[in-house]
Amino acid sequence: MTRGVSHSAHEPSSASHAPSPAGRGAQGGAVAGALRVLAVGSEGTGAGAVQSLREWAADLGVELECAADLPRATRLLAGGRWDVVLAVLGERSDEDLTWWMDTLRAAPGPPRLVALAERPSMGLVLRAEKLGVLDLLTMPLRREDVAHALNSVRSAVTEIPVPLPSVEANAVGQYALVGQSAAMLDVYKLLARVAHSSATVLIQGESGTGKEVVARSIHQHGTATAGPFVAVNCAAIPENLLESELFGHEKGAFTGAVARKIGRFEQASGGTLFLDEVADMSLSLQAKILRAVQEREIERVGGTDTLPVTVRVIAATNRDLREAITQGKFREDLYYRLAVVVINLPRLVERGDDLLLLISHFVQQFGQRSGKRITAISDRALDLLRNRQWVGNVRELRNVMERAVILANDAALRTEHLPEDIRGEEANLPERAQGALATLAELEARHIARVLAHTGGQIGAAAEILGIHRNTLTRKMKEYGL
Amino acid sequence: MRVEQALRLLPDLEALVPLRGLLLASARPDERLQWGSGGPYLTVGKHAVEPGELTRQMAPVLGMVTEHIGALYQAYVAALEAQERGEPTAAVTALLDAGRLEERARRLEQASAWYEVALTVAEGLTDRRPEVETLLALGNVCLAHGWYAEGARHYQRALVLAEAEFDQAGAIDACVGLGGVALERAEWAGAQAWYARALRLVETGGDRLRMGRIAHQLGLLARRQGDLAGAGEHLRRARESLEALAAGREMAQVLDAQGQLDAALGRDAAAAAGYREALAWLRRGGRDVELDVTIRLHLAELLLESGRTLEAEEEMRRAEQVAIASNLAHRLVQIYALLGKLRGRQNDETGFVFFEQAIELCRTLGRPPVEEARVYHEYGLFRGRFGGAGGAGGAGRDEARAYLERAREIFQSLGVEAEVERVRAELQDLSA
Repeated sequence: MTRGVSHSAHEPSSASHAPSPAGRGAQGGAVAGALRVLAVGSEGTGAGAVQSLREWAADLGVELECAADLPRATRLLAGGRWDVVLAVLGERSDEDLTWWMDTLRAAPGPPRLVALAERPSMGLVLRAEKLGVLDLLTMPLRREDVAHALNSVRSAVTEIPVPLPSVEANAVGQYALVGQSAAMLDVYKLLARVAHSSATVLIQGESGTGKEVVARSIHQHGTATAGPFVAVNCAAIPENLLESELFGHEKGAFTGAVARKIGRFEQASGGTLFLDEVADMSLSLQAKILRAVQEREIERVGGTDTLPVTVRVIAATNRDLREAITQGKFREDLYYRLAVVVINLPRLVERGDDLLLLISHFVQQFGQRSGKRITAISDRALDLLRNRQWVGNVRELRNVMERAVILANDAALRTEHLPEDIRGEEANLPERAQGALATLAELEARHIARVLAHTGGQIGAAAEILGIHRNTLTRKMKEYGL
Repeated sequence: MRVEQALRLLPDLEALVPLRGLLLASARPDERLQWGSGGPYLTVGKHAVEPGELTRQMAPVLGMVTEHIGALYQAYVAALEAQERGEPTAAVTALLDAGRLEERARRLEQASAWYEVALTVAEGLTDRRPEVETLLALGNVCLAHGWYAEGARHYQRALVLAEAEFDQAGAIDACVGLGGVALERAEWAGAQAWYARALRLVETGGDRLRMGRIAHQLGLLARRQGDLAGAGEHLRRARESLEALAAGREMAQVLDAQGQLDAALGRDAAAAAGYREALAWLRRGGRDVELDVTIRLHLAELLLESGRTLEAEEEMRRAEQVAIASNLAHRLVQIYALLGKLRGRQNDETGFVFFEQAIELCRTLGRPPVEEARVYHEYGLFRGRFGGAGGAGGAGRDEARAYLERAREIFQSLGVEAEVERVRAELQDLSA
């Protein structure tokens, strides 16, 4: 990602192909005009770089403005639209980078960041890549490196809009099942069969695959549809409160029981109780759930009366319950009570073209909410979304699309509307020129950084995934400045 | 293992407070949980603790603890030596140093204990300026902790002594402190009078930094009184005084106040720009993570009030990350109360988990009662929204009433009458 050593210059063929996002047409096509670049010096350092930029501005086809310090820069950012911010990082370059990305995210546009650092460490390079920094250049600044970075901004606006298909959603209120892939058709068939029975259902699938949507759909199409649908998220509620949330409590039953509370089992009477992330329950609470499902009666915490409950229970989990049973973390008898019918939901990456349908559905949903009519997505943005692993499945896609719709200002979504971490993957798109080939060490460092990001910085877990000893990992992290 | 489980294994001992902080700071959100249906409700209690990671990060924390205790011991020895030399003024200075060390470590009660000892020494001196300095330090701690009556007493005494000693800086700081107490207790006329007196004193000396600070306080006062035009004028003056000095932290505070004023005037874009510039001044003028979190939360509130919930939540989560990474677990109380409020706006009843976590943190971290009262207040309003939901009937309303009552009791015990009245009105609305 850093340049300044051995790169050939990639000059723009013509400054007239250098549009400013402010002047983009409705379909994102190119409009003539110079890139608006804001250069921000870091007091004490970077004065030379800013001076060089002034000298090269006309030649590079940019409209350059310089800010001497951060407060002035933020004022300029708030006052207009910029294509690129070229910022000199200070001594705490890592923090500076995060600060800039955070600031630019909120600026109109938002502009891309080209960061300048004295001697960027491998760790800083990787961090810049993870954050979606357009480029990280070393000082002293070289004209061809700046030209190369700006050129990639210019090439981004040549994105071609792809019309979004119309979507027929099997909607349940604000929830909808969208998709025509073979994997989803199997789910629909099973759902149709199970809805009319009163059998307990266990829905399994990774996080964000739509377990609650399926549960609502079963309720909606089932015999208890006139009754309430009550969802309890067992993973969200602190362990010490979950029992009273499910079964209710009498006033004064424990510290904090300020008033009598009706639990979710009672609230769901005559309808459906959806126990989401059921594997997150303690064993003692599992025993109480088993009793409630088996005997169809409950007791409030601190209460003495036994209360009958008539509810259909649908449970869901993203864990392998059989594995949990083997580990002694989940009761086998409860598993068999819940898993009368099992529905397995596919991961988003296994759903092929459902991705485009889901994109279209969310764009329509959020567009309506914000009064925007978006009819297309650019080819490049779609490629980025197709190349993503989607750890959070449909939920993650939904978040990305919600944000993109907020940022969109015309009829097409483009890469600039995607989150920085997705934009950061642009370099990995197959059709993009890769520049100099990476060394083995660079690739190893990148992969380690990715795994660490995946584990949230947990070294033990990262070492396990990488298949190396944690001491080896620690040593490599030190070596690569991670 | 999760933080909520790990904390159950940790006894409530003062010596273990740094370990408690480390536990929170070293824990990481499990990515699987983040994208799971529990993700939107993720709090630090659900973060994963890895004992190995805790061990790895323990050494620097233990180093800081040792350094802190060492500095306190040294300050005490310095006080002893000064007393032996017959230099009680130096003893007071050493004891004040120890108190300030505790304050920097956010151990307000411990700081107060050092200042109390310093005061007993200072009271025996013929030179009253060390006593003024000590009383001001005590007043500041009381104000930060929400012990308003006690704080006012210390500031009053400091003012009397400072005036008798012709200690103008001491007198100004005492007036500002008294204004601060009055402002917190919503005694607007009192606050106005104290700040005006401080301003008169400072104008004679031409101290631009203090002038800027007082103008800032007057701006806050005017805004809380509803005089938005007046607030704007004071803040403009504050900015004029401070910008020339390039006082980064103070400028950030003034711009933060300006942001809140713009928000109150419905100028959302200007408010957001003000907050962003405040963060830039802070970045430029030295690190103050506490203030950074405060500004981010104001920005998040602005986004929340303008219905931009996604961006509001992102800002709150960013503040959460900053607070956890910087070992500012106490700021999570406010962050979670705000996240709970956001879920309430989204009609999401499961948002109650944020209030429960905030209350738990208040207990675990021994937060000032005023902070706990604010959480109960917001929790009551949240429960009130769902009073009749889900077949729970009046039970939700009973809970709402109970939380509001608790908030009212605490505000009453602190003498914050304006808040008491506000909660009382909300209780009446709930009964109607």
